[in-house]
Amino acid sequence: MPSEQSNNIDPAVPPSSAWVRFLRSYGPTPNDLTLFDEYVAGALGRAKVQPITLKSPLLEKMREMALSGAPGSILIAGTAGDGKTYHCRSLWAALGGNPRDWLVSAPVKTLVMADGRTAVFVKDLSAVSDERKSDEILDLLERSVLGEENSQFLIVAANHGQILERLRNLGLRQGRVHPLRKPLQDSFLLAGSAPERLAIFDLSRTARRHSLDEVLSAVAGHPEWDSCKRCLLRSPERMCSIYENRERLLGASDGGRFARRLGDLVEVARLNGWHLPVRDLLALTSNMILGHRDAREGLLSCAEVAKIQESGKAESGSLYDNVFGVNLPRKRANDHQVFRALASFGIGDETSNGADGLLVYGFDDTKLSDAFARLVKADPAYGATPSYLAAQLRYLEGEEAARVDGGAAEFLARLESQRRRLFFTLPDDESDYPFWGMTAFRFAGDYLEMSAALVDRKPINETVRARMVRGLNRVMTGLLIENNDRIFVGSSGGFTQSRISVLCDTEAPARRTGGVGMSIKLDALTERPALDVALAQGEGGSAIFNLSPVRFEFLCRVAEGSLPGSFSNECLEDLLAFKAKLLRKAELIRLARSSQDEDEPSEDKGALTLNFIEIEQNGHGFSRPVTVRVGS
Amino acid sequence: MRQKIEGVDFAVDEHIWGHRLHDAQLPHLTVLEFLGVLGSNFDTPLIASPSEQVSYRPQRQMRLRGLLFNNPYVESVRERQLPDEDKWKEWKSRFSPDALEFEESDMEALRRTFLSFDDFAKAIELLRSSAFEARSNKRWSSKFVFPFGPDALYEDLRVAGGKASNDRLFFARTGELLYLMLCRAAKGPELGEKLIGRLFNSSAPMNRLVRALQGKPQLSDAKDVGYLPFASHSRYDRLCEDWLAILSRDMPIYDALEHLIISAGLNMLLYFLERAKAQAGDAEPVELVCEIVSRERTKVRALSGDSYQANQSLSLRAVRAAVEQIRLDDEWSKAAETEYPEGERLALMRGRFQWPPTDPDDETDYEKMTGDELVRMLADKAETRHEGHFGKIHAAWSRAIGLSSRRLSRRNRYAPNDRLLKTLVVSIVEERMQFDEFLHEVKARYGMVIGDAEGAHLVSAKQVDQDALSDNRGNLEARLVGLGLVRRLSDSCSFVENPFVSKGEA
Repeated sequence: MPSEQSNNIDPAVPPSSAWVRFLRSYGPTPNDLTLFDEYVAGALGRAKVQPITLKSPLLEKMREMALSGAPGSILIAGTAGDGKTYHCRSLWAALGGNPRDWLVSAPVKTLVMADGRTAVFVKDLSAVSDERKSDEILDLLERSVLGEENSQFLIVAANHGQILERLRNLGLRQGRVHPLRKPLQDSFLLAGSAPERLAIFDLSRTARRHSLDEVLSAVAGHPEWDSCKRCLLRSPERMCSIYENRERLLGASDGGRFARRLGDLVEVARLNGWHLPVRDLLALTSNMILGHRDAREGLLSCAEVAKIQESGKAESGSLYDNVFGVNLPRKRANDHQVFRALASFGIGDETSNGADGLLVYGFDDTKLSDAFARLVKADPAYGATPSYLAAQLRYLEGEEAARVDGGAAEFLARLESQRRRLFFTLPDDESDYPFWGMTAFRFAGDYLEMSAALVDRKPINETVRARMVRGLNRVMTGLLIENNDRIFVGSSGGFTQSRISVLCDTEAPARRTGGVGMSIKLDALTERPALDVALAQGEGGSAIFNLSPVRFEFLCRVAEGSLPGSFSNECLEDLLAFKAKLLRKAELIRLARSSQDEDEPSEDKGALTLNFIEIEQNGHGFSRPVTVRVGS
Repeated sequence: MRQKIEGVDFAVDEHIWGHRLHDAQLPHLTVLEFLGVLGSNFDTPLIASPSEQVSYRPQRQMRLRGLLFNNPYVESVRERQLPDEDKWKEWKSRFSPDALEFEESDMEALRRTFLSFDDFAKAIELLRSSAFEARSNKRWSSKFVFPFGPDALYEDLRVAGGKASNDRLFFARTGELLYLMLCRAAKGPELGEKLIGRLFNSSAPMNRLVRALQGKPQLSDAKDVGYLPFASHSRYDRLCEDWLAILSRDMPIYDALEHLIISAGLNMLLYFLERAKAQAGDAEPVELVCEIVSRERTKVRALSGDSYQANQSLSLRAVRAAVEQIRLDDEWSKAAETEYPEGERLALMRGRFQWPPTDPDDETDYEKMTGDELVRMLADKAETRHEGHFGKIHAAWSRAIGLSSRRLSRRNRYAPNDRLLKTLVVSIVEERMQFDEFLHEVKARYGMVIGDAEGAHLVSAKQVDQDALSDNRGNLEARLVGLGLVRRLSDSCSFVENPFVSKGEA
């Protein structure tokens, strides 16, 4: 129905205006209120468009859980923007609650279920400011989860810190350690499971590649875009960046490459510990489509498109820039996790000589012109646009303006923008210009490949394994050794923290054989690959190092010659802690052995062997034993 | 009657803190001296009632320390292209002249121990590389090998004219007092057993290497340990609990040692400040306002500088108070009613402070002075002496443990470094702990004020605004993330994690 109205063709009002205005309210504007569930209904009513609907697989599980009659409560945990209120409201409706009752602004609501039990809904624990009320809620939670309370149960939405803090507080006031606190904490941190009678739905854990895909297709594939077909601002001669960006998101022309690369970024960010709530993914998507540096608040509305087209700056609405919030004031972008997370890849700043050579000299250099035509010129909208070529020429010809301080700034900004574009557009098999080389995570491709291989139980690429082992050895010993067939657990004799360890305390094969050595496996809880180094058979003989993308990057870069301290001090500390654990294992294993041997006169009583790590000319390290005869 | 302290002109600081704490004996030297006492009391580790006189017989290990630190020839000889036999000869001809207590038979023993001179040189290099202050310009007899085990422990010595003697320059009894403190902690014996079990393993490889160089231990004369005034103190217990916690972590003992040293330094520094406050009659708990250094300049810097200054002046105040308080005693006023009031007071002074001397070596006639004059004179003397060493303890130790710094500033202030922060996490956090709770605990145990919740009283006294402290808190969180010690669950919720817990790591 809403589109009916726009059939009265008014050339001043583009046909998708209402929809774009609605979508714009999802974007990172200074007051992005639409993104709060509480405001969605109102905004929809005003815009008269169909809502953006996302599937919620958890909602069905929550409903099943509530209807099953199984005793116990439901906790919907998540951070701001994960959709706690949305899930709570939808569950209320799904269980037969009247949607109108939901709008009454009481934080606690009750619903009598068909099986006679009473469901107590708390849509937001942090909104319950009355301490007595809050205590009552937590008391019901405790009784229904750990006690015998079966006639009432709780459906409570809360963010992690909030509920833990309240349980701690309550415990302190009651002079006890609250029995639910530790299990909840462990469950949030994936260090343990929840009590049997508590179903925890942690929305923060569901943010991953497929939720991005879903948001992309819900927004870019929204039926309201059909109206654009009638729009006069869009023609082969006139480029509307809104429509162009939306088309690129759908991925018809690049086989979905853009969405796949963005998915890779989201996945790597997630495994690095970033959490991207659905609210942020919606803001990101809205920004990718509507972003433009010269638009009001950085986001276009249909009314501004004509003006921008006339000024010839449509290309400044490039979605490759918008992904990183380049169209927004820095502070506003930084208010959103998603832009901070994406900024951590350094895309735009990172580059390779090859890629920069192509972008700077490609137009003139005959050796590069093929690649330039294919990778840059082929995109007339955001690639080698006339104004890009003009800026490049000014830069290369060294006009006077380009030589003064800051004179090259215009071209350099364009260069950054082109590097961003390259990350998303370089073909997968472009061996001269690997797209991960345009990021701070040059080895992220290997990382994702390794994770996928582990999930599918396939063998891991040998080059990747060898590189990791080499990195590990270099950190463990502080020596530039090349070994990749075994792992030296180095020791300086004294503190593990000493950067250089000349003694080899223990060594283990780089591949698990007979229960000893390193194996790479998938850690089920964190879903990350992990290095499991066993120094002895059986339990207690091994230590595990969880590999996040940044730790993997660290090992790979060290293997390729970077100094451990210069890439990431955090990773170095993590690895030294891991080394300390291995040394402790070795210490315990030695103790156990010597106590077993107690009865027999051991042959090494009179001799002590110190294994010094020495390096051959080719960088190969080996341990050279030095025997010391010690009297007993 | 107070215990008499030997070898001092008067006893003031000694009764506030003990005989004695010393600024030059930095925490690692304190722990080394402590280990010497512990090793000598191997059969009754940290078991002694407060009234018992603890004594010990430290090792001297002249051969070992000579080979390691008075032996600059070993590298140059190794580098020469000579047959092995000649290397030994060459080295011996250079080493022997200044070697103390090193005989022909020791030389033979060395040659039997190592297959080649090069192996010998390598072993020496290895032990030197892990030694404390290996590159410092201290005298060789004050350099210490890493305490790998019982054979690696020895006392600080002065060597002159071919003779070794104790001058108590770096082993000034602070380690002895540490031993007494831990004896008097509730869980002392439990800790003693653990320390013996883990640090005194004579079959540890590095200890065996040390023994191969040293041979049979060389012992010094037996000594009595110093004097510690209090039979119990909450700080003794805190220190003991912290050490037990550190030893329970899943890390190699040699790594744990670093945390033990910092923890000892921190707790003894707090003992020093707490006793000063108590002596001066100040009932407020000790507070250390800490700036967490970050890229941006913060308002907490000035405050932590003030906090440092305030604490720096505590001990001097305590010394004056300790002397002057005698005038508040009943006996002091009662003396006025006796026939020779000033004579009585002189006796009271002697009883309390071992001063004035009975046979003065200067011209002063103490007998003719009034009680008040004596008090004034002693207070001045005590202050002057205090400034020599005791008064420098706060500055020296807080810097040594990484608590204070002058980084980016001309003034000293509390600005904990990474190593100290790590030790705090290792001692406090069992497995993981909410960040706010950690801050609370750091304040409760060590008086360190970092966040806005802990510094609420400073905010209400308008000394600093809340935002500055909450930024400070944020900076700590970021620092700990960088050290791999904090995990953020969401913006509102982060946990401090101890990477060295044995449970739940799989």
